[in-house]
Amino acid sequence: MLTREKYSYYVEPSALEVTDRPRKFLAAFAAVLEHSNYGAALDTYCRLSAKCARCAASCQLYEASLESRDIPCRRSDLLFRVYRRYFTQAGVVKARLFGGFTLTDEYLDEMAEEFYRCTACRRCKVTCPIGIDHGLITHLARWLLAEIDVIPKALLVSVREQLEGVGNTSAIPVPALKDTCEFLEEEFQDLYNVEIKFPFDVEGAEYVFFPAVSDYLLEADTLMGNAAVMHVTNGSWTIGTGNYDGINYGLFYSDRMMERIVNNVVAEVRRLRASKVLVGECGHATRSAWFIPTFAGLDAPPVVNCMEYAHQMLEAGKIPLKDTRIEERVTYHDPCNIARGGRITEEPREILRAICRDYVEMTPNRTRNYCCGGGGGTVSIDEIRSFRTGPMGKRKAEQIRATEAQVVVSPCANCKKQLREVCEDNELEDVEVVGLHDLLLKVIDFGTAESTATETHEEYQNREQPETGAVQSKIAE
Amino acid sequence: MVLGLLRHAVVTVSEIGKMVRRAGNKDIAYRQILLATVKWLFPVGQVRRRFFFSFTTLTFHVAVIVVPIFLAGHIALWKSGIGLSWPAISNGLADVLTITAVATAALLVVQRATARDSRALSRFSDYVLPVVIAVPFVSGFLVMHPVWNPFSYDATLFVHVMSGNVLLVLIPMTKLSHMALLPTTQLVSELAWHFPPDAGSKVGVDLGKEGQPI
Repeated sequence: MLTREKYSYYVEPSALEVTDRPRKFLAAFAAVLEHSNYGAALDTYCRLSAKCARCAASCQLYEASLESRDIPCRRSDLLFRVYRRYFTQAGVVKARLFGGFTLTDEYLDEMAEEFYRCTACRRCKVTCPIGIDHGLITHLARWLLAEIDVIPKALLVSVREQLEGVGNTSAIPVPALKDTCEFLEEEFQDLYNVEIKFPFDVEGAEYVFFPAVSDYLLEADTLMGNAAVMHVTNGSWTIGTGNYDGINYGLFYSDRMMERIVNNVVAEVRRLRASKVLVGECGHATRSAWFIPTFAGLDAPPVVNCMEYAHQMLEAGKIPLKDTRIEERVTYHDPCNIARGGRITEEPREILRAICRDYVEMTPNRTRNYCCGGGGGTVSIDEIRSFRTGPMGKRKAEQIRATEAQVVVSPCANCKKQLREVCEDNELEDVEVVGLHDLLLKVIDFGTAESTATETHEEYQNREQPETGAVQSKIAE
Repeated sequence: MVLGLLRHAVVTVSEIGKMVRRAGNKDIAYRQILLATVKWLFPVGQVRRRFFFSFTTLTFHVAVIVVPIFLAGHIALWKSGIGLSWPAISNGLADVLTITAVATAALLVVQRATARDSRALSRFSDYVLPVVIAVPFVSGFLVMHPVWNPFSYDATLFVHVMSGNVLLVLIPMTKLSHMALLPTTQLVSELAWHFPPDAGSKVGVDLGKEGQPI
């Protein structure tokens, strides 16, 4: 039986066999309200929501689809109705007297569809006069849906693999990981004639490195850039073989899973007696890691994003650069998870201005940026690609086209995958989507003849370098 | 109204206290929250987006806040009632603002009904509230200008006072309560992301899912 019959995305077959869903959903809702901090927000939002529709004017999906179902306020109201009816006194009394709204299976199916049409990018929150955080409501609604087993299969199997399987979302076993890193070390030798190590299980290191684990499969240049920065700055870092995955899909569908995944990161840092978490180029991994103090308390290890580290080192003059710069026109896409709250917006820009000759901004940007269209975990759901790159990605494609950039830098594994697909599907095939450390790698001066040689971007593209396929075949071996 | 809003304020403040107490991460970005709160309490810079609607609603808010509080006649009532008084606006300015309030209330209804997105969101109350708010302004204007008033003075004054009372009753029961709660909303939104450290596992226990395979 096809498990995509009901929703746009696949779910596990068992999800279709769950019975008595409205009661289970309400039981989960009651438990969540009891133990979490969502109740006060729901109370405030239900009372004050003014229905002014300013959120519609800021939602890239509604701008493209013009379907009223895509107005953030309307989507959130799906959950508000349930809350008002079952968890406020007025709602309960009103239902006793007049009947009215009842939670049904069909209503739950509508929620299941609608809350996965939102990427929880939280752009609408910035423009809501009341301050309603529709991203928070999407986050909460997805958790409640997960408790009745409505979870996109792509997200579920990744979390299962991470928490109960091999230990990471891409199911990369330790020998394959080490093999990949050895391969990248050889690349450093071949391309730059420099010996750079990917250090494993170094006890007492300052930083434990948590990239999106998929980088080990897909983003060899980003990883080499990370290692290169740590090498030239004499950074004390290590990759823990107990846990080397920064990805946390709990953020996208379940606080229960999120808590477990974050705790595993902290456990690995403590196992290695290290002091800090160094997150790779990944937006949601960074935001999830920022939740470490929530779960680990006052002595939680501090979290540093690799761009913050690189920026600090560049400012301190500890990253030697070649005389050449990136010649192509480069633009920067702000990943929502690190930029919306204004936490990381300037560091990558300052790095890019230092290493690119023709850096241009997308408009709008920073806290008002448009989502890549694959946020909230939707990028992992391959079966909704036409939605992601169509109505959801249209604005982003227009934004990129307007910059006339040849290279889009996005320091996020999810954004990179999505932006590549957006470019492919929107006649922007010539645009290259890369990570920030990919470009940094090209201009770092390792002090060897090979690394100081000048080369154009085109030459760089054409030369032998670690291909995704090569890395994957290494892992397959 | 006062009791209703006071109840809202007390409940909200106690909820905020509870959220902060339960939050695993007590490092809260108060400065950023304050800036966002002030930005939306005085949203002059936000008018560019959806210009007509935003301009109308901003003007409407200025008029409906200023006139009832700073009208000389109202201040005289406060003075005779509890002895408090404060500077008043001129009656001429009050007239202009009153006409503005009525006109913008009407425009709000029209704009809500004609824009595709706001129409899709609107409830019955969203159309009715601006009209209800306009009634005390229309009647108040007629009370101030008996020459133009086709109705009896006493009847108009009665409508003015009673419609004002209706509004006072409605404020705590409707979205109008934002007049008291708006300063707290940005804080509440931010605190909702400050999870209690073990909320997830406790929910798992409650639902009997502890230790269950994923």
